[in-house]
Formats: sequence, C-alpha cells, structure tokens
Amino acid sequence: MRQLFKKKLMQDIEKEAARQDTEGQKPEQYLNEHEWEKALLKSHDFKRTFYVNQKTEKKFCFSFISTLVDESILQNNALPYLLEGELTEIVDVKSLIPIADVQVSDHNEDIETKLFNGYVLLTLEGEEKYFAFIAAQKEVVRNVAQPEVEFSVIGPKESFVESLDHNLNMIRKRVPVKELIIENYTVGSLSKSGVAILYIDGITNKDNVNTVVQRVKDIEFDEITDSSYIVQLISDNQNSPFPQLLDTERPDRIAAILAEGKVAILVDGSPHALIGPTTLVEFFGSFEDYFLNYLLSSFFRLVRLFAVAFSILITPIYVAALSYHYELIPKDLLSTLITSRREIPLPPILEALFLELTIELLREAGARLPTKVGQTIGIVGGIVIGTASVEAGLTSNVLLIIVALAALASFTTPVYRMGNTIRLLRFPFLFFAELWGMLGIVVSFSFLLAHLLKLTSLGRPFLEPLYPPRITDFKDAIIRLPFTMQYNRPQYLRTENPVRFSEKKAKQKKDIDE
Amino acid sequence: MQQPVPERLQVSPFLVLYLIMSMQIGIGVLGYQRIIAKDAGYDAWISVLAAGLSIHIIIWMIYKICGTVEGDIVAANAYVFGKKIGNVISSVFIFYLLIFALAVLRTFIEVIQVWMFPEISTFWYSLVFLLLSVYIVFGGFRTVTGIAFFCIVLPSYLLLTFGFALKYAEYRNLLPIFDHSLKEFATSAYNMSLTYIGFEIPLFFYPFIKDAPKSQKWAHLGVFLTTIIYTVLAIITFTYFSEAQLAKSIWATLEMWKIVSMPFVERFEYIGIANWNLIILPNICIALWGGSMILKRAYKLRQKKGVILLALICLVAVSFFDTRAKINLLNDWTAKIGFAVTYVYIPILFIATLIAKKVKNKNEN
Repeated sequence: MRQLFKKKLMQDIEKEAARQDTEGQKPEQYLNEHEWEKALLKSHDFKRTFYVNQKTEKKFCFSFISTLVDESILQNNALPYLLEGELTEIVDVKSLIPIADVQVSDHNEDIETKLFNGYVLLTLEGEEKYFAFIAAQKEVVRNVAQPEVEFSVIGPKESFVESLDHNLNMIRKRVPVKELIIENYTVGSLSKSGVAILYIDGITNKDNVNTVVQRVKDIEFDEITDSSYIVQLISDNQNSPFPQLLDTERPDRIAAILAEGKVAILVDGSPHALIGPTTLVEFFGSFEDYFLNYLLSSFFRLVRLFAVAFSILITPIYVAALSYHYELIPKDLLSTLITSRREIPLPPILEALFLELTIELLREAGARLPTKVGQTIGIVGGIVIGTASVEAGLTSNVLLIIVALAALASFTTPVYRMGNTIRLLRFPFLFFAELWGMLGIVVSFSFLLAHLLKLTSLGRPFLEPLYPPRITDFKDAIIRLPFTMQYNRPQYLRTENPVRFSEKKAKQKKDIDE
Repeated sequence: MQQPVPERLQVSPFLVLYLIMSMQIGIGVLGYQRIIAKDAGYDAWISVLAAGLSIHIIIWMIYKICGTVEGDIVAANAYVFGKKIGNVISSVFIFYLLIFALAVLRTFIEVIQVWMFPEISTFWYSLVFLLLSVYIVFGGFRTVTGIAFFCIVLPSYLLLTFGFALKYAEYRNLLPIFDHSLKEFATSAYNMSLTYIGFEIPLFFYPFIKDAPKSQKWAHLGVFLTTIIYTVLAIITFTYFSEAQLAKSIWATLEMWKIVSMPFVERFEYIGIANWNLIILPNICIALWGGSMILKRAYKLRQKKGVILLALICLVAVSFFDTRAKINLLNDWTAKIGFAVTYVYIPILFIATLIAKKVKNKNEN
C-alpha cells in the first residue's frame, strides 16, 4: 500500500517538475488558486513562511494562523528536522518530525477547518496534490481553580475550566473505564463550538442519549458562547422559568451522575457542564450532601426545602393576612404587628413591594459590581436603607425582618439558576395575595403546581419522585438515605443496568457481641 | 373495543385511588351532616357507612362493563345500543359532567362569598379557575391525574384539624343507636348522593390506566377510604353539635374549624377554605377532561376545542346561579342526576352489557 502510494506520488512529482520546467520558477504559484486563502490573507495573523531544505534543496512552506499556533513547537520540534533531514517528498514529513499528529492529505476542503483548529499546513515545492498538517495548537487555559458557585467545605476542590479537553481529562480520570463514551458534535454556524455528550454504555438509557444527541444536532444558532445557550436551546419547555437541565462546575459531580445513569453535556469554552434528565428535588440537593453523613445531609435538605417554601410564601402571606385576614392572627401577635404598622402610611402590598424591590436592587447591584465594592454596597444598602426606611416610617420592622429572611432563605438553594427562579416566583404570588388574599395564594400555587406537573426534562417527569409517586426513588430526593441503601439506580432514568451494587453484600447484619 | 391508548399517556393503576377520592371529595362534604341528619337523626352515620358500602357493588359493575367492552363509556354504549343511539346516550354524560363541574364551582364560590369575601365576583373568580383547569387539562390525562394526586395528598393535613372538635365531643349524642326506621335510613343514604358521587369516573378514563383490571382494588380502596372519612367526620360532627344546632348549620364542616386555634393561627376556616380550592380543583379538571373526551370519541371534536367549549359553557352558566335558592336547586339536581346515573343507569348498562355479550357470542357460534 505504502509502496503504491509512493509510486503515485513520484509520478505526480515528476509531472509537476516537468510542468515547472516549462513555466519557470514561481514559488507561490502552487498555492494561489485557492479561495480560502484570499479571505485569510486579509487577516494579519495569517502567516506563510518559506524555507529551503538543506539536503535536497527543496522549498517548503508553512501556512498557519499565528494566534492559534504555538510557534515554539514549530521552532523546536518541526523546523530543525525539516531543514536538516532528507525531505524529498511529502510523506517524509511523517518520519522526520517528532510530532505524533501529522497527517498527509489531499482534501482541499479540510484546510480551512484544520487551520482554525491550530494545525500548520505544510506544502512542498513540486507537490501539487498532497500536503501535510502538523498539530501545533496553542492552548491558553486558565488554571484549575476551586469551585466558586458550588463551593463545598469537604470534598474535591477542582472545577471545570474553559477548555473542553481539560474538562474531559478531569472526568476521564474519575471514570477510567472503556464504557464511558464521549460523543462529539460541532454546533453553531459561527462559533463551531465542540459539544461533548458523555454517558456510560450499558448503564445509561439509550433513549435519553438519543434525545440529547438529536436535540444538539438540531440546534440552529450562530454563536454558542456558553453551555447556558445549549440549556435554553434544548430544554423541553423553553417558556418555563424553571431550569430543566442541571448545571454544575464540579467534575466529581459529573462522575457521580454518570454512574447514576444520566447524560452529561460539555461545551467547549464553558466551565459549566449540563446534566439531564433531572428532577425538581435535585436542584435543592447540594453535592456536599454526599460528603456528609446521611442524617446531617437529610436534615440540611429538609432545611433547604423549608427555606424555599418560606422564601416564596412568607411575604405573600404577610400581605394576605394584613390586607384581608387579620382575624387569622392571634390576639397577642396582632398587637405586635399593629404597633409596628401604626405609623406606616402605605398599604401592606406597597410596603412589601417597596422592600422586595429594594432587596432585588441590592442583589443586582451586588452581582454587577466588582466583589469588594459589591460587599460594601450590600452592607451599606442592607443596614442603612433598611434601618432608615423603618425610621422614616415607610415600612414596618416586622416586614423588614420577613423580607430579609426570605432573601436569605432564597440563597440556600444550591443551584444558582434555581435561586433566580425563586426570586421571580414571589411576585405573582404577591400579586394574587393582594387580589384574593389566602385564596389567591392557593390559586397561584395551583398554577405553579400545574406548571411543574407539565414540565419534563428530556421527556422524563420533572416532579419525580413526588409525581409519578415512586417510593424507592425517595432514597435520594427530599432526604438522602445511607449509601448502603442506594443499591439501585433511580427508577425514572430507566437505566439499562438498574443495579449499582449487590444489595446482599451491603446488608450484613450482626448480632450483639459477635 | 376501542383503539388502545399508547403507554406514554397511561397512568399506573394505583393512581385510580387518588382519582376517585379526589373526585368524590368536593363540596358535598362541607355540609352533608345537616342533610342526612334531617331524616335519620344522629343515626345517620350508619346510613353514610351503608351508602359507602353499596358503592362497591357499582364499582364492581363498572369494572365488569369496561372489562367486557375493553373501553370507556362511549365504547360500552356503542357496544350495547349501537353506534348512533350509543353516542346520544353518551352525550347525556357530557351534560352530567358539566352540571357536576358547575355545581362544584358555584357552590365553592358561594362558600367563599359567605365565609371570606362577600364581594368577590363570581365571573372573575370562575374565569381564573377555569383558565387554570383548562391549562391543566391541556397537559393531558397524566397532568390531570397529577393534580388529583397532589390535591389529595397536600390538603390531607386538614383531617387532623377536625381533631380539635373532639375536645368538646359529647358521645352520648349518638345514643340510642338504631332509633330510626329503615325508610328513614334509606332516605338519609339517598341524601348522601351529592357527597358520594364521583366514583363513576373509571367509566371515562378506563383505557388510560395501565393494566386497567388491576386498578379495581385501588378503586375499591379509594371508595372505602372516602367512606371512612365521611363516617368519622359525621360522627365527630354529631358529637360536637347538638341536634337542634346542626339543623341550622348549612356548612357544619366549616363551622367546626371555628374552634381550631394554634399559637400562630386563629380562625382556621380562612386557611381551610383557601385550601379547599385545591380539593375542588381536580373535580373541575376531571369533569372537563371527561366531557371533552366523550365529545372527542363520540363526535370527533378535537379535545383542545372541546375543553375550551365546555369551560366557556361553564363560565356563562355560572353567572345565572346568583341566589341561594338557585344554587340549592342546582345542587339538588346534580345529586338527583348523579344518583340516576350511578344507581339506575349503571346497573341497567351492566345487565344490558351482559345480555349483549351473550347475544354476540351466540351469533358468533
């Protein structure tokens, strides 16, 4: 085969030489015809350099995009060998250079993609059809840092970076089995972002994988800058304020969910990976829950769920009770409320909206400003504005406590996206509470419930295990049972292999004094 | 025999428990105690129990009918009476479900108007409520079942609040037992109709249950639980109220909440009534879903259009019932039609199905 190839090459070279003899020496002639080059020549970082091999006196040329190529690789690992070695034909490049990824090709249409992927195009004088690609990518990657959004006191401290390869490396190291499949797709007509879909063969349900693959393939968009674009583009219901795919910056979490039988989606250029299918309760479980004893983590999960309910409902209940149902409040408590509200000129709804908006403003300002200024604003705004508005008689101090607690409670949501949703949810509840009191709160709750019931994540019910009710999946939902009881994978994932480990081995019962 | 429903649209058999309970518990339970005590006095709890037990026979018949024709009420009517007459009879069920939804919605709004907001607009509240129901029905039967499930589970804590009345219970009120004639017991049981109806819904969603025959035990369990709840609630009410006082209490269940008091909540009925919103939600949703399903099966009307049509009729009709007397009349008629459908029509259909099956088998042989 190789011999044949060489023979054919030799013929080509001879032909070319014959032609060149008649047409005279034009060093650039053999490259000028291509369209891609014309466009590239406009950019200043497109470079072409010519060299002459010292032994055979053949001219060769490097074409590359200097901003994408690590020139030290060219200088140290390619150029000396090409200048000093015996370079007579293009296939010699492979044996001359000590770089693994060298490809000889005759596909003109590949050139553009390869150049933009950081390859160097090598063309040789007298060689019209064939050329070589030398891999010399420049990788600008920031260091692996501590997870900031999903910080945990205990447990691994590495988080994803913007390079897909580095991220995949961190996952592969945690799941070193051949069954871990990484499928790669290119998305975005301009960004050409690499999207990797990860799953474990033999565990993950193929329907889930196919759904993800199909939806990723169907994406029509020009510039994908982050995985958040992918979330919005492939969600089941794009008009829902609820995130339907979980995002994480922790490689350890990705490894854990792959073992459960879920699918992970990583996007090049994004430090956040996506997880699907997911459920509502998963958004309230922090990954640190798995690092703590199950009693502690179950308690914290319950606290978080309570915090969410509290955060959404408490201000609407205040408005409803004080606007309509003051009979609800016992005598002693009522007198406290009345004392605090005696001087307030505003009705409860305006009072509540005023404070809620203040908190929202503080949050937005804190998030947009640099960290240090943000902290100052938080303290100044929180304490000064809060105290001042109570002293000015604009809001009651009871409501101030309630709103501040509600804001605090909404921060306990471990997933940032869900926290934002909860921020938003409070306002329709407030509106209905003003309209119909307690009844309004229940009506808006019914709307919320109906919406959640309709939601799916990659076609799997979003409210599982609450509805459809599956008792066995409660082992890792609102509470987390010990690992010895997590011998089966979650039911709703319909995994190909539902057993995580043998139940019998895990349950060894001992009698007293044995 | 009808086209089988694809599995992704079906629900698990045990959810029938919640569907039946959520359809049965609605507005009747808010004030049935006075109505049943009119005839059988404080022996009426026995009628509640007896009426509840008799339902199991009807449930058994419903599952026999649906099992024989392997389909819903439209299929059963078509099986027995032929397609044309069958469809006409099925249309009566649309009317029944519609009037059921109407009665539930209007009575609940009346409760709100009497107990919470005297000025609340019937129209606007119905509009929001029906919008919510249409939104739910648009999600399909699985969503409707989900609502039925949550609307039983979430407000179930309300049962505990009736415990507060036990502190003031006078058990001697119940004595002597069996102090009334059989006829009085029967009338009293008949008066439970409005409170009990709703258990006939397997006729509408039978094909939407996975392994439908297996769901029969859950249907029985659902009816049994409802019966227990009603009986216990009746006994608590009878021990709490004196007979003369009960005769004046239109909504005895609500009045019992007045005694509830906790360190952070007084006048519990506000919370209770607001929560009752959840309990009547599946009533309306299942009725709208069932009605639009029959429209689709019998008249090939797209279900999306059918739901909106039925909701619109409900919205228009609800404004006509503006006085206590009219609402009472509506409830009476709903109870009568409900009784006729469940205790008269279903046994007839059951026998007719058996005969039709024999005749068809003979013809085949």
